[in-house]
Amino acid sequence: MQIIENDKIKEKVFIKKLENGLTIMVIPKKSVDKKYIIWGVNYGSVDNHFLVNGEEVIVPDGIAHYLEHKMFEQRNGKNSLDVLTALGVDANAYTTNNYTAYLYECTDNFYEALDEFMDYVQNPYYTDENVEKERGIIEQEIMMYEDYPDWAMYMNAIKLMYHNNPIKIDIAGTKETIAKIGKEELYKVYNNFYVPENMAIVFCGDINEKEIFEELEKRIVIKANPNEVKRILADEPEDIVEKRKEISMDISMPIFTIAYKDKIHDNKEMIKRDLAIQIIIQIVMGTSSNLYKRLYEDGLIFSDFSYDYEFARNYAHVYMQGQTFEVEKVINEIKNEFDFFINQGISEEDFDRIKRKIYGDFVRAFNDVASIGNSFINKYFKGNNLFDYIEEFEALSKEYTEDVLKDVFKEDKKVISIVNPLENEEDVSE
Amino acid sequence: MNFLKEEKFDIKEGIKLHLIKTELFKTNLSCVLMTVPLKKETVTSNALIPFLLRRGTANLKDQYEINKKLENLYGSNFDCGIDKSGDNQVIKFYMDGINDKFLLSKEDLLKQNLDLLFDIVFNPYLENGLFKQEFLEMEKNNLENVINGKIDDKDFYAFNDCLEKMYGKKGFGLYKYGYLEDLENITLESISKSYEDLISKSKIDIFISGEFDVDSVKDIVFNNENIVKLQGRNSDYIQMNPIEEVKEKVEKIAEYKEQLNVNQGKLILGLDVNYNKQDYRYVGLIYNAILGESANSKLFQNVREKAGLCYTARSSFIKQKKNIFIRCGIEIPNYQKAVDLIKVQLEDMKKGNFTEEDLENAKIFLISGIKSIEAEQDSGIVYYFGQELSGTSEELEQYIEKIKSVDKNTVLDLASKVEINTIYFLESKN
Repeated sequence: MQIIENDKIKEKVFIKKLENGLTIMVIPKKSVDKKYIIWGVNYGSVDNHFLVNGEEVIVPDGIAHYLEHKMFEQRNGKNSLDVLTALGVDANAYTTNNYTAYLYECTDNFYEALDEFMDYVQNPYYTDENVEKERGIIEQEIMMYEDYPDWAMYMNAIKLMYHNNPIKIDIAGTKETIAKIGKEELYKVYNNFYVPENMAIVFCGDINEKEIFEELEKRIVIKANPNEVKRILADEPEDIVEKRKEISMDISMPIFTIAYKDKIHDNKEMIKRDLAIQIIIQIVMGTSSNLYKRLYEDGLIFSDFSYDYEFARNYAHVYMQGQTFEVEKVINEIKNEFDFFINQGISEEDFDRIKRKIYGDFVRAFNDVASIGNSFINKYFKGNNLFDYIEEFEALSKEYTEDVLKDVFKEDKKVISIVNPLENEEDVSE
Repeated sequence: MNFLKEEKFDIKEGIKLHLIKTELFKTNLSCVLMTVPLKKETVTSNALIPFLLRRGTANLKDQYEINKKLENLYGSNFDCGIDKSGDNQVIKFYMDGINDKFLLSKEDLLKQNLDLLFDIVFNPYLENGLFKQEFLEMEKNNLENVINGKIDDKDFYAFNDCLEKMYGKKGFGLYKYGYLEDLENITLESISKSYEDLISKSKIDIFISGEFDVDSVKDIVFNNENIVKLQGRNSDYIQMNPIEEVKEKVEKIAEYKEQLNVNQGKLILGLDVNYNKQDYRYVGLIYNAILGESANSKLFQNVREKAGLCYTARSSFIKQKKNIFIRCGIEIPNYQKAVDLIKVQLEDMKKGNFTEEDLENAKIFLISGIKSIEAEQDSGIVYYFGQELSGTSEELEQYIEKIKSVDKNTVLDLASKVEINTIYFLESKN
């Protein structure tokens, strides 16, 4: 068992890897009544192509998400979500590009719920009937996302950057692709990827770690995968596909995303890069930046920019998003600002101030059991954890940050995705 | 169970300090809440005020100074917003910062956070006793975008439109950010007067949640020069009295169909809950939970799971207004099917077609929610503020007991008094 701790933030994590390959992480939270547990599987929407004992398998888009929906069905006809809800716990699940997660949080009945929870994740039950029934619900979910302009903007940016990488796939798939998902396909994915070596469980709450390890271990029934499974990662050139895409949807103000295609490096480098990128974006276009001040005072923007650095498997990219009536002008101003900082470098004052802010963010990240659980699972599947981040953060230098600025924010790696309002303006009665 | 407790102190008439001591968080959260009646004449200018206040204080002359300061205060966050509570408009200002014990060097961060919060709210940047013209122009623009932005979230748009049709442009039917026609008429003089009115006439509640010494914090607040300058007031906020209120009988259900560019139809049923006994609040919550609040509810089970008609199907109980709103996202051609099926659920409730198990599940669900109020720092504030506005002082333990004591007959009694007031549908233009 491994213990990692940080004295300044006063938090720690216990990590145990079982013989079967499953990793358990416990972050103790004294006095808090709420308990949070999340079970992650290293299988997401990008995992559409793999070899099982040398035989090639390509699965329909949206299968990881479909599988997530179906996990709650039980052989005895019950639905585990109902059972968990009846116990008063708040259960949920979600699918991302690179992992799927099953979770619940509760104040009471933790162990009663744990029985049901560990049962449903380890006992798949798919029939033609129950698979068919879900199709309508998922179709509605897909349609719900189609009304989200932010989602359309984001997916367009991804498609502008990637030629072949399956990150281009809609996580929920499309109406056409999910029509091809049946129980055989679901079992194939489950049997090959829902195996202990691909899994991690994170617990956060006021239960002794020895007790949690014991209680989880004794409920594990799944065995290591007898098959040899190899993920086939798409060959992706370093260049982008196209520079720009604009669409129109029923919104009041144009929104835009600027994204830069990066590439994956080793674990430690990705952590440092992630931190450096956060610092860079806040200095260049955060709420205390000169750019933000100018754009706001010129009436070009009315709210902050949002951003994220996403990476896993073999993809990495950073994106920034904003809202403005003058997209071209703002995009140009952002470009000029980046050019300025690339040439002039970053000031000590800005660097130190933003570092102080980021330290505060680390403390806050441990505020709530749910965000702790999610953060640990999310980072686990990228090969790191929050404590690694805090460690690298302390040593992060201005010089390294300036290097990342020059390496990542390059014009030839940049794409722009815009959503404009519809041509004929709605007469909106208020 | 820790159970939150608050300590209340009258600063002056109409101005109260609420302290919630808790060790569960790494942050201290403070807020200033100003409550006034919702009126068409004032709703828009009140909504504009927080936008203006965050632009600068007498000490920090623009928002970049404020933002830089926040970053230096270990990434403290300032936020403001508008809420509706019954027929009241609540203008909210939040400040949170990490707790002093996690700082990298010794300083009084909570005091600095409070000083800054009160400075922003009560000591704005003025030129010749008025707000800065430039700030006013820009923030009017901003608020205009927010008001127009209603359309960006179709769900939100549908709900607000439905409320306005049910209540008209008054009280609870008003859009909390106001109206364009009123925004146009706001001048430098008028907004400065509106601000004076708000500061001098609103009910003011200050909440501080976190880890601190009560006497020291009391001192900081009572001696703060901005607080000292405030006058006592006899505020005219509306204390809602739902138990006494008798709703008009609905002769004919109002039906509305509106068109926008949506992929998915948004269906809303507004129900009147004409029940007047003392246990109104608890029975209403249980009725609503059985009907449509959790994965066990009738709406989720019958309209989503069994019929596959929607991805989202839920109901919410607005107790101060004696309404329940059922909201579903459905495929547009399924309108009548969905309405008919929802009516069946309501009939079933009237006929008593729900089991003791359903009742028990609802209680477990609600009690779990009550117990988790202490788990999120702002939930505790929301709970005690709700108590303050309704003039009640029920501790969480009592609340749980009252929920437990509701029986099936009482729920049936309330069910017999639930009637559909309005059916609203947002569909596509084609």
